[in-house]
Amino acid sequence: MRKLCSLIFIIAALSVSAQGYQVNLQGQVQQGMGSAGSAFIQDASSLFYNPGGLVMLESNQVIVGMTPTFSNVTFTEDSTFLQANTESPVGTPFAVYGSFKLKDSSDLAFGLGVYTPFGSTVQWQEEWMGRFVLTRIKLMSIFFQPTVSYRINEKLGIGAGFVYSYGQVNLQKDIPIQFQDGSYANAELNGTGSGFGFNAGVYYAPMDLLSFGVSYRSKVDMNLSKGTATFTVPESLSDKFPSGDFTSSLPLPSVITGSFKVHPTEKLNIVGDVNYASWSAYDTLAFDYAENTESLEDTKSARMFENTFAFRFGGQYALNDAFQVRLGMTYALTPVQDGYLTPETPDANRINLTAGVGYRLNDNFNLDASVLVTQFSRHDKNLETNLSGRYETMVVSPGLSLTYQF
Amino acid sequence: MPPVASGEVDPTVFVSVGGDRVAGYMDDALSVYGQSNSLGAIFNTQLEVVGGTTYNQPMIADQSIGINLKDQSQLIMGYKTDCNNETSLSPVRKANQGSIGSWSQNLYATQGPFNNIGIPGISVLNVLSPGYSDPWYDRFRSGGSSAILSDVTSQNPTFVLCDLGTDDIMNYALSGGTGSPIPSAVGIAGVGFNGTYETIVNSISSSGAKGVLCNIPDITEFPYFTTIPYNGLTLDSANAATMNQVFNPLGITFVEGDNPFTVEDQNEPFGVRKLVEGELIHLGIPLDSVKCYGMGSIVPIPDEYVLSLDEINEIHTKTDQFNTIIGNISNNYNFALADFNSVFNSVSLGLTINGVSFSGEFVSGGFFSLDGRNPTPKGMAILANECIRAVNKKYNAIIPYASITDYSGVLFP
Repeated sequence: MRKLCSLIFIIAALSVSAQGYQVNLQGQVQQGMGSAGSAFIQDASSLFYNPGGLVMLESNQVIVGMTPTFSNVTFTEDSTFLQANTESPVGTPFAVYGSFKLKDSSDLAFGLGVYTPFGSTVQWQEEWMGRFVLTRIKLMSIFFQPTVSYRINEKLGIGAGFVYSYGQVNLQKDIPIQFQDGSYANAELNGTGSGFGFNAGVYYAPMDLLSFGVSYRSKVDMNLSKGTATFTVPESLSDKFPSGDFTSSLPLPSVITGSFKVHPTEKLNIVGDVNYASWSAYDTLAFDYAENTESLEDTKSARMFENTFAFRFGGQYALNDAFQVRLGMTYALTPVQDGYLTPETPDANRINLTAGVGYRLNDNFNLDASVLVTQFSRHDKNLETNLSGRYETMVVSPGLSLTYQF
Repeated sequence: MPPVASGEVDPTVFVSVGGDRVAGYMDDALSVYGQSNSLGAIFNTQLEVVGGTTYNQPMIADQSIGINLKDQSQLIMGYKTDCNNETSLSPVRKANQGSIGSWSQNLYATQGPFNNIGIPGISVLNVLSPGYSDPWYDRFRSGGSSAILSDVTSQNPTFVLCDLGTDDIMNYALSGGTGSPIPSAVGIAGVGFNGTYETIVNSISSSGAKGVLCNIPDITEFPYFTTIPYNGLTLDSANAATMNQVFNPLGITFVEGDNPFTVEDQNEPFGVRKLVEGELIHLGIPLDSVKCYGMGSIVPIPDEYVLSLDEINEIHTKTDQFNTIIGNISNNYNFALADFNSVFNSVSLGLTINGVSFSGEFVSGGFFSLDGRNPTPKGMAILANECIRAVNKKYNAIIPYASITDYSGVLFP
């Protein structure tokens, strides 16, 4: 177990699978139902989806899950008709949850979640036409969330978790300065940062037929206090591009979720979530270099993200005691306004289609699997870079988790 | 991929005619590098997508060093030590001598005919003249009495790119207004710009060819004229006092700090005055003379290195008149009009393409080559794209633009 965890940590690089750089892949059960389920408490992934429901779980649990994410973006430039593709590595969002109560009847549950709610790795093909905007960005964050959940009565639970977030950013692009052989200079920015936040929720089930959930995941400001900028430039210009330290920050926006679950028959559950993400926190991407020169000035690039909604809807049907099948969809609005689309997050309004299965191996072990597919396309001309063309994105995310309950 | 289309363009035989830009003159020389990135060469590369074919150019003999009329090689970025023994990054000649083998023989018999009739520095008035001779044209002319225009029309071109006029104005400016005047706007063929230009377009058009006409930028915005400030004479109090001792009797005073340079002027009683704001100094001025031997201070700058306000006014007036003429002729003959004037203007203001900023700054601006007046390959591709924009619009064609990213700017050691 420990070995598996450390392995996961090392390869935790995330991908372009949801709005902005948000990754909505934190639980296989919910992923099968359009990532809805804040009002449907089935397993310890409620740590993420709704800490208020955690205490309603009848068993102690450990879940380990991962969702390899395969994505491809094709950019077609307006003026030249030339195309470029991403060659992004497989993203590996993961989630590990553990929850337990001191004794079965306790009104108090404790838990720890470790998951990756934001990130992306986008690697563009060599020498693409946007190389001076971006050649590669790797953004990853890992959230550690110790959580307490309290059952006020049979119908009502509340919970809250403290979030510590650790992140890494690696950003590379070419600089339009050429060596004698015609090759281009480049810049690589590398940094780590951390931030704090919380995740709180309320779960309310007035009757068997119906339950509700509300959760709020706070904004986390990832501060890169000491990044390293490395410039590879012609010798004659090296004093104009001093490699050295930089600072930056990246806001991970708050998300508020309202959710319901309907349970019309023994075998059927229908869930719906509405998310509202406060993306407007991400208005500027700024880099402040420790040493400035006439060629290396601090940069401020407008991002101007907008607050957005996502609508999630899905259902689960139990075929028998051991098997469940799930279907769902998401309609997510993009936080990226026209004129601000970048090759780092070639985002668009999108429809995700999802499916999943759950299988109870025995009294202690469950397997859950899901798959998410989405395809979207957006044309834009970036106001800052004038990069103009159509981005066509395809994402497939199959995922698997193992739950141990005791 | 979007569909491409030639529209009303017949790309079968493409010929370009013009001066520096058409020849591919850049970094103050004609070189294989520049020729490979000439205006017509880049345009033709895109024309090939809709059925264009080969583009034959009279290539320079030596692959690597280039040649100009002073037998110099092309400029590259290197290190130069000045008269103060200070070494700095600067444009330097690539070799002690240029590719002088390029002058030795006419290429027409073995390699002609040529799709690219580009003659660096050509005056529009000389395009019609049978037997016109200069070292550039003599390299590839079809015969001893051929005219530049007949070398274009004799190929029965189906599409022609014509970029004439800038060189007439540039030649005047490069002489500091001391050389041949800019041709008059109005006059018959061989005398005035309008008559000559119309004859050229009429000859091309009469065989059914279509084409694109490029208009003329405001060359006073080029780094060749904007890099050295008119008031770059910085004096300490002792030097200012010395200068005042010499010049106060002539009615000229200097102050500690920034002062305008001194310039020769025959209209002044003593043949010398200070530059005034708005006047332009050539980048070609001998800088060592300025730094160490008193040029611009004790020794007034020779007139040939300076554009006075009157001369600048003449350049602006003629540029406007010629552009009006080119615009009218493009309308009358149903030719596309590439608005180079506005492209260069937007470069001066700052232009961003795919995250790359271009400006009119010398060296760092990325648009102008090391001679400060002709574009880099990137700059040339931006101009070729203006031609494509105009052609697509005029002839309902869908010719893809050149990818600026694929062309080089200034190279650094």
